[in-house]
Amino acid sequence: MGLSSKTSEKIAFSLLILATLIVAGFVLIILGYIILNGYGAINLEFITQMPNRMMTEGGIYPAIVGTIYLIIGSMSVALPIGVMAAIYLNEYAGESRTTWLIEMAINNLAGTPSVVFGLFGLALFVKYFGFGPSILSASLTLALLILPVIIRSTEEALITVPKEYRESSLALGVSKWQTIRHVVLPAAIPGIITGSVLSIGRVAGETAPILFTGAAYFLPRLPDSVYSQFMALPYHLFVLATAGTNIAKTRPIQYGTALVLLIIVLSLNLVAVLIRRHYRNKLKI
Amino acid sequence: MFSKNSKEKGIESVLFFISTLTVLILFLICIFLFRDSLLLFKETSLLDFLTGKFWYPTSVNKQFGLLPLLLGSLLVTAGSILFSVPLGIASAIYISELAHPKVADFLKPFIEILAGIPSVVFGFFGLVVLVPFMQKTLNLPTGQTALTGSIMLGIMALPTIITISEDAISSVPSTLRQGSLALGATQWQTIYKVIIPASLSGISAAVMLGIGRAIGETMTLMMVTGNAAIIPSFPGGFFGPVRTMTATIALEMGEVPQGSAHFHALFAVGSVLFIITFIINLIADSIKKKYRFKVG
Amino acid sequence: MTKGVQNVSQVQIKVDNLNLWYGEKQALKNISMQIPKNSVTALIGPSGCGKSTFLRCLNRMNDLVKNCRIEGKISIEEKDIYGPDVDVVDLRKKVGMVFQKPNPFPMSIFDNVAYGPRIHGADRKDLDSIVEQALRSAAIWEETSDRLKSPALSLSGGQQQRLCIARTLAVKPRTILFDEPTSALDPISTARIEDLIMDLKKDYTIVIVTHNMQQAARISDYTGFFLMGKLIEFGQTRQIFQNPQEQSTEDYITGRFG
Repeated sequence: MGLSSKTSEKIAFSLLILATLIVAGFVLIILGYIILNGYGAINLEFITQMPNRMMTEGGIYPAIVGTIYLIIGSMSVALPIGVMAAIYLNEYAGESRTTWLIEMAINNLAGTPSVVFGLFGLALFVKYFGFGPSILSASLTLALLILPVIIRSTEEALITVPKEYRESSLALGVSKWQTIRHVVLPAAIPGIITGSVLSIGRVAGETAPILFTGAAYFLPRLPDSVYSQFMALPYHLFVLATAGTNIAKTRPIQYGTALVLLIIVLSLNLVAVLIRRHYRNKLKI
Repeated sequence: MFSKNSKEKGIESVLFFISTLTVLILFLICIFLFRDSLLLFKETSLLDFLTGKFWYPTSVNKQFGLLPLLLGSLLVTAGSILFSVPLGIASAIYISELAHPKVADFLKPFIEILAGIPSVVFGFFGLVVLVPFMQKTLNLPTGQTALTGSIMLGIMALPTIITISEDAISSVPSTLRQGSLALGATQWQTIYKVIIPASLSGISAAVMLGIGRAIGETMTLMMVTGNAAIIPSFPGGFFGPVRTMTATIALEMGEVPQGSAHFHALFAVGSVLFIITFIINLIADSIKKKYRFKVG
Repeated sequence: MTKGVQNVSQVQIKVDNLNLWYGEKQALKNISMQIPKNSVTALIGPSGCGKSTFLRCLNRMNDLVKNCRIEGKISIEEKDIYGPDVDVVDLRKKVGMVFQKPNPFPMSIFDNVAYGPRIHGADRKDLDSIVEQALRSAAIWEETSDRLKSPALSLSGGQQQRLCIARTLAVKPRTILFDEPTSALDPISTARIEDLIMDLKKDYTIVIVTHNMQQAARISDYTGFFLMGKLIEFGQTRQIFQNPQEQSTEDYITGRFG
């Protein structure tokens, strides 16, 4: 080409800047659009009242409650299992065929589409175990979905604990497990919390895994046991936007629901980022 | 003394057992998906399923042809990659090579916000903003098209591609960079002759993971692609509705009687989806391993 | 062929024909020596000579290294520490170790010292006195008594290292291994640690790895010189420094050596 290297550099750099501006623009537009349109719909009644008149009026209280149940249910299963698996992988496992198999399984679980988890939850929990479409089935399905996230983030947190802590504890005649419990885990807590918070965000936002495992289109009352069906924010938004009784009329409720969901998920992400920043440099010796 | 040792051993065994649960889960997913899928082949042959051109699950003459769904998924995914890869890599280069560190520190978490937005919110945004926009601008009968899906999916894949590419680019040793600049190459020449080739395997791992994410995406596509189960033409198919494998499962599973051929067919679609993402993950994994080896 | 030190009435550590491999690479070759009780023994030699590796055999910290293989025999207080009935955890209670870099846990000063005793089941009401005793023995009580609850990482490097010594003392070991304990410290902190080590030998047997020959000469009763995985010479410090038997020892001590 006849361009001087200076000119072509200028053109290339302008294109790179343009690309970045476009990407940042997407973030701004999506956030801005939902915030500006949803802002007006949100008030105390909106988040504390039941839906009215075939969901064309009223609040989203049961969907918020359902989402909270899912968070509690899935985290109480996935967190202990994930943390313990990560401890094994990072502190005990040597290089063996089994370790390779476990690592491979975790990577593949992380990449499995959420709708496939939904199918699996339907086949195993709803049908095979007979839990029916319920909070229990949906929570267990979501727990499987976030398990790899929790394992990976816990492993990352354990890796950053300096090996000097382990050595000096062992040198005091403290056993391996006691060292992990009293020194390694406390030092890894911030990282584990970060991963948990991200997982909670994921649970709050996922729709596909709960479609066939217990999410209800509409329920006149709150769930009363783990075997009840439930309403959840993301599914509620989906229903209102695509299959509601009066899609055009309920637009404000849709924007409001989207904004509530966005606020929950993004503030969880923000918390995770802040925790990570706060503790990043604390562990260095 | 003995009991303490056996307690330590006991704890290790418990932890080991728990970590093998991950393998068990993966194994169970295979079993349960494949088990229900296989029942389909009592009614339809595997070949008919894989090469069938029509997905008519509820008509009198039931047909369970995967092709329209598979091609729908591939078309939308291909479009999203064409859209997001250049944009993502360009941004990653800008962030790691050109941007002032303070700007980069702001941009990285800002773009990460995209990764946190639930797919149903993307779908909702696509439905109320992009769908009407596409219809008007391109003067189409409906704005719910494969292209609309590709664009939304591309936006969703951006944070994955940018974060991993950015990692790969910034792990190129600075000696390479300085060596090239010292030879009188401009910064841009250094970037595209030295840095990009050196980080290529990392970038391709990013693209693979982006593809994996795109092909498995459900809610967004269900809301913006129109869900018509017809075999899309190329490239004209971009401007018409398509139905992906994921959307098919999500849309129809709620309605079908359990144990029917249709039910089994949806599991078969899920199995195909699972196998495709499984392979993509393995590829991404082996690329990543190679690239770690190279950099470390 | 045990080198040096004859007529030792009480031997704390006895090493016979110790060989150690990391994978294919032999890091220690035929080491034999007898370390007397209640003395300070310094291990010197150029870096990579195996002195730290040897030290880490004495409390079996090398067990943590993959592909590490050991042959030969080490007895501490006449008990084979690689014997089949030995509990490594118990061994490390009796053989304490202080590391190169001060590495207190991210806890309070008090909790750092109380960490070992607590886990080993000390009575809650005894903890205060155990901690005070250990801090006094490590010559850091005066500086910390009024802020036991503040984080250990707020101490200076030298104070942190003395805290680590206190942490080790609180477990009541009989032998203490020091792995270049002052290499990360300033001269004043170094002097305080050296005084402390000389003071501790009345109650403990001390083995110290150091790259600082003046330090070895100042504080130790016995010195072993390592070179390329072999123990070249072992004997009373005065003798090693004033009248070395081997040419390579003399070369190293007089600085004619890499």
